[in-house]
Amino acid sequence: MIETIIQNLINALQWGSFYALIALGYTMVYGVLTLINFAHGDVFMVGAYIAFFVATFILTVLGLPGWIALALTIPVTMILTSMVGVSLERIAYRPLRRKGAHRLYVVITALMCGLILEHANLAILGASRKAFPSLIVEHVYTVGGVSFTNLKIAVIVTAILSFFILQWIVTQTKVGMAMRAISYDKFAVPLMGIPIDSIIVITFALGSSFAGLAGLLFAMSYPVLEPYMGALIGWKAFIAAVVGGIGDIRGAFLGGFLLGAVEILVVAVFPSTYRDLIAFTVLLIILSLKPTGLFGIAKTTKI
Amino acid sequence: MLLSVENLIVKYGNIQALHGISFHVNEGEIVTLIGANGAGKTTSLHSITRLPPPEAPKVVSGDIKFKGQSILKTSPSAVVKDLKVALVPEGRHIFGNLTVMENLILATYAREKGTDFSGEYHRIFELFPRLKERRDQRSESLSGGEQQMLAVGRALMTGCTFLLLDEPSMGLAPVLKYEVFRTLKRLNEEGMTILLIEQNANLALQLAGRGYVLDTGQIAAHGTSEELLGNPEVKKAYLGG
Repeated sequence: MIETIIQNLINALQWGSFYALIALGYTMVYGVLTLINFAHGDVFMVGAYIAFFVATFILTVLGLPGWIALALTIPVTMILTSMVGVSLERIAYRPLRRKGAHRLYVVITALMCGLILEHANLAILGASRKAFPSLIVEHVYTVGGVSFTNLKIAVIVTAILSFFILQWIVTQTKVGMAMRAISYDKFAVPLMGIPIDSIIVITFALGSSFAGLAGLLFAMSYPVLEPYMGALIGWKAFIAAVVGGIGDIRGAFLGGFLLGAVEILVVAVFPSTYRDLIAFTVLLIILSLKPTGLFGIAKTTKI
Repeated sequence: MLLSVENLIVKYGNIQALHGISFHVNEGEIVTLIGANGAGKTTSLHSITRLPPPEAPKVVSGDIKFKGQSILKTSPSAVVKDLKVALVPEGRHIFGNLTVMENLILATYAREKGTDFSGEYHRIFELFPRLKERRDQRSESLSGGEQQMLAVGRALMTGCTFLLLDEPSMGLAPVLKYEVFRTLKRLNEEGMTILLIEQNANLALQLAGRGYVLDTGQIAAHGTSEELLGNPEVKKAYLGG
C-alpha cells in the first residue's frame, strides 16, 4: 500500500514537473504585462525541437558521447528557446503595447503566434514525428517495491532547483523586484530609472528558457516529437498557473504539481480515459472555491 | 540655467494641454508651479520626465532643455539615470506589493553596480524615521503620509540632484504637510534643486523662491514668491482672497 502511494507520488512529481516548468512562463509574463501568453505552450514545443536538433547535431555530427551532448544541449536549448520567446515579444507584442492596444487584441495575437509556431513547424519539418535521440542510459532502480528511473528523478530535481533559482531571482534581485513592481504599478517603474522594456525582455527570456528546459526533459522522457505536442500541455500548464494563483511563481509550481498529482491519482483509480475529465473538474472546483488561485491575492483595482 | 522650458506646446491626443509655456529653474532653487486643476501643471512635469507612451504628453512644438541640451529625445529612464532628475508623482505610486526597503533598493536600479548605498539608506531613515520602523512591511500597509515619505525617499535613492514633486501635500493631515515641506526645505539647503507643483499656493510660495502661475495651459503670472504673494490678482484667484 505504502509502496503504491510513494510510487504514485514520484510519478505525480515527475509529471507535475513539466506543468510547473511551463506554468512559470505563463505566470511571469502575466505578472509583468497582465498578458496571457497563449503562445507559451508552443514555445515549449519549439524548445523540444531545438533540443532535438542540438542533441542530434552534437551526437552525430560532432560524435560526442551522450552525457556531453546533454551537458551542452541544456544551455544551448535554453538560450535558443529564450530567443524565440524574446522574438515573439519584439515582433508581435511590443508593437501592440506601443500603440496602447486593448488586452483582447494582444491575447488574440498570442493565440495566433502559437498557431503560427505550430504550423510553421508543420510546413517546414512535415507531419512525420521525430524520434528524440537517447542522451543518457536509463537505469531503473527499485527500492522497497518502489521503482523509479534516474531520468525521472532528474526531472523532479531540475524542477525543484528551477523553482528555487527563480524564486531567488524574483524576491532577491533588483530585476525581480522590478518585475514585481511592474505588476503593481507600471507607471512608476521608469521613474526609478528602470527601462520597462528590458525587464519585459528578461521576463520573456526567463520564462521561455525554462519552457525550453521543459521541452528537453519532456523529449528525453517521451521521445516522440510532433508539432502539436505543446498545445494541450500548454493549456494545462496555463490552467495550473491560474489554479496556483497567476502572477506568483510559487503558485505556478504548486498548481503544476497539483495538476500532475490529480492526473496520476485519477489514472491509478479510474480508467485512463477519465483522466482529463476528472482532473479539470477538480481544478474547476478549486477555482470556484478560491477564484484568485491558491496563492493569489485579490488585486484592488486602482484608478 | 539647469532646466528651461521654451514655448512648449503639448497635446494629449487631440486636446491641447499647454499653449506655449516657458519657465526655467536654476541650480539650487525651489520653483513652484501653481494653478487650478487642469491648468497644465502635471502635464508640464510629465513632459520633463519623458514618460513612455501611452501616458506621454506629445510635444507639438517648443523645447525642454537641461543644461542647455534638448531632452525631447531622451528616454524616461535616462532622465533619471543620466540627468539625475526624479519625479515624485501625484498619488505617490509606491510599489505596494514591495516592502519599504525593497522600494528603496529598487530605486537604485540604474545606479552604478557595486556601490555601497547603506549611508544613503541611513540618511533616508534619518529624514523619515517612520520608514525605518516599517522597513520590512509591505508598503501598501503604510498610512498616506508614510507613503508620501516613501515616495520622496525613493526618489532620493535614485541619486537625483533635481527633484520634481507633484502635489506632495495632497490628502495629508496639516501636521504631515508641514513635515513634508520642512523636509523639502532641508533637502534644498543641502543642495537639491526642486520644482514643486502644489494646489496649496500659500504653502508652496512660502517654501519656494520663485513661482509661475499656470492658467489653462498658459503662464498667467510669474515672479518671486513675495511678488506673487503680493499680487492682488494672484491673491484673489489662488490664495483665497
